[in-house]
Amino acid sequence: MAVIEVNDATKTYRRRRRPPQKALDGLDLHVAEGGVHGFLGPNGSGKTTTIRALLGLVRADSGELRLLGRPVPRDLPQVVGGVGALVETPLFFPTFSGRLNLQLLAETAGVSRVRVEECLELVDLQDRAEDRFKGYSLGMKQRLGIAAALLKSPRLLVLDEPSNGLDPAGIRDVRELIRRLGADGSTTVFLSSHLLAEVEQVCDRVSILARGKCVATGPVHEVLAGRATGEVRLRAPDLAGARAVLEGAGYAVTPVDGALRVQGVTAPAELTRLLADQGHYLEELSPVAADLESAFLELTEDTP
Amino acid sequence: MTDQRPSLLRAEVHRFRSRRFIRILVLLALGGFVVGLVIAGTQFAKPSAAGLADAQRIMAEAGQQQEQFRQECLKQPQPPGQTAEQTCGPPFEASGLGVEDFMRTKPFVFADTAPGAAGGVAAGTAALLFLIGATWVGAEWSSKSMTALLFWEPRRLKVIATKLAVLLGAAALIGAAAQALWLLGAKALAATRGSTGRLPDGFYGDLLAIQARGVLLVVVAGALGFALANLVRNTGAALGLGFVYFAVVENAVRVLRPKWEPGLLTNNAAALVSKDGLRLYLNETHVDGQGQLVSVREIVLSHLHGGVVLVLTAAVLVAVGGVLFARRDLQ
Repeated sequence: MAVIEVNDATKTYRRRRRPPQKALDGLDLHVAEGGVHGFLGPNGSGKTTTIRALLGLVRADSGELRLLGRPVPRDLPQVVGGVGALVETPLFFPTFSGRLNLQLLAETAGVSRVRVEECLELVDLQDRAEDRFKGYSLGMKQRLGIAAALLKSPRLLVLDEPSNGLDPAGIRDVRELIRRLGADGSTTVFLSSHLLAEVEQVCDRVSILARGKCVATGPVHEVLAGRATGEVRLRAPDLAGARAVLEGAGYAVTPVDGALRVQGVTAPAELTRLLADQGHYLEELSPVAADLESAFLELTEDTP
Repeated sequence: MTDQRPSLLRAEVHRFRSRRFIRILVLLALGGFVVGLVIAGTQFAKPSAAGLADAQRIMAEAGQQQEQFRQECLKQPQPPGQTAEQTCGPPFEASGLGVEDFMRTKPFVFADTAPGAAGGVAAGTAALLFLIGATWVGAEWSSKSMTALLFWEPRRLKVIATKLAVLLGAAALIGAAAQALWLLGAKALAATRGSTGRLPDGFYGDLLAIQARGVLLVVVAGALGFALANLVRNTGAALGLGFVYFAVVENAVRVLRPKWEPGLLTNNAAALVSKDGLRLYLNETHVDGQGQLVSVREIVLSHLHGGVVLVLTAAVLVAVGGVLFARRDLQ
C-alpha cells in the first residue's frame, strides 16, 4: 500500500507585482509503505510545497493527493492521527517550556503524558524540558520538533531537513533514529533533505524533484544504476602495456593512483578477454559507481 | 499511547491559562483596580457629627440666599412666553441638592456612584480584553504555533472557533469577576467612607442589568481584538489598527461627519452600559432664505442599538478572519 500518492498535482503561487511561480507542475509521487523514502530536489523544486499540500497547509490547484490511502485535504482529519510531521523549522510557542509545548499537542490528540516523556527522552531533551523554547539552541529546537513528530507514534513520519542545526553527534543520532524507525516495520519515514549523503546513507528509496516534477524515483541503488558511469578501474602488473592494448582497442584510459580508469565500457568482460589475449592478467577490475550527488545534479540539470 | 480523549478545547484552555503575558495583564489590571479603589477611598469620608452640622448650616445659608435671589427674580417682569418658574428656577427644596453636596469631603454614596462606575469598570475591562484577545491569537501567528497546531487538527474553522470560544469564555469570566469586585469594593467604600444611601426601587435590578451589559461589552471587546489580530496575523498591528480607529477615525467622524456618530463603537459601548442609553446632541445646519440656521437634534442610542452594533461589528470581523484563515495558503 502507498502511504503517499500524488498524481498530476499542480500548484502556482500568485504573487503581487511579481510573475506567478509554478511550484508543482504535474507532480507524480508514489511512496510505498515501510522503510525510509528520500525526497531530494534543489531549492525551489517544490519539495516543501508538496509536503505542505499533503498536510493541508496549501491547496493544490489540480491533481489528486492521498495520505495513507485517503484523499487529502478532504479526509485529512481522519488520517492526521497517523501522520507526524516536522516541516522546516519547528514551530512552538517561544515562552512555553519544551515539555508544555509537547503536552499541549498531546492533549489535542489524546496522547498520554507518559508518551511525552518517552519522546523527550528519545531526543535526549528530558533534562532541559522545563526550559523555555526560546532559550533552546537550534539543535535542541530541531530535536523537540522531532519529538513532537513522534508523539503520535505515526504510521507516516514526514521530516523536512531534520538535521538542520544539529551538531555532528546530533546528526548521527537523528540518522540512527530514522534508520531505526524505518526498519521497525510500523513507520514509513518520508525524508526531505538537501544532504545527499544523508539520503544515500539512510534511505531505501528516493524520489528526485526538479521544477515541480519528479524526475527519478525508485530504490537508491536503482536510481544510481540508471545513472551508471560506464567507467571501470583496473590494475595489472604491467600498467603501461595494458594501457597500450586498451588504447589500441579504442578505449579512453587514464592512469589514476597505481591503476587505470577506463571510460566507455559497456561490457567489462570484453576488457578481461582483450587483455588476457595479450598476456596481461588483471589484479583488480571494479566498476566506478555513480554517487547520488552526480545522479542528482545530472537529473536536475537536465530537466527543461 | 492514548489514555485520554482528544480535546482541542481542553488543550486550548490549558494554553490560555499558561500564557504568561495574559496572566501578567490580568494581574496588572487587578493591581490597578485595587490602587484605584484605595485612591477613591481617599476622596471620600464618612461625615462626623460636627461636619454634618457644619454642612447643614452651610446648606441652610445657601438655601436662604438662593430663595432671596429667587424672590427678587420673581418681582422682575418675565420675558414673553416664559413662566416665572422657567426664568427663576425651582424653590430651593426642589433643586436636588443634598447635605452631602455641602460637605468638605463628600461621603461615598453607594446608590449614586455604583451604577455609573459599573459602566466605567466595564469600559476598563473591555480595554483589557481587547488587548488579551489580540495577543491571544496574534502571538500564535507570530510564533507560527498556529500552523503547527494544524498538523494535529487540520480543521481550521474548528481550530479558530475553539480559540475564540476559549477567549469569549475567559472574557465573560473576567468581566463578571471585575463587576463582582466592583460591587464588593463599592460596598466596602460605602461601609467605610460613606453610606449605602436610600436605595430607589428596583436599584439592584438596574445595577445588575448594567453589570450584565458590561460583561457583554467585555466579551465583544475581546472578540474585536481577536478578530483584528487574526485578520492581520500580528498583535502589534492589531493594536495599531485599534489605536487608529479609536484615536483618529472616531475623532475625525465627530468633527467632520457628526451624523455618523450613532455608528461609532465608543458611543454604542457607552449606550450599552449607561442606565438609560446614550443621548447624543447633533448640530444640524439648515440654510433657509434668511441665512444659516443651526439646530440641535437629540438622538437616543438605546442599549439594544449599542449591543446590536457592537455584536454585529465583532461578528463580521470574526467571520471575515475565519473565512480567510480557512482559505489561505499557510507558509
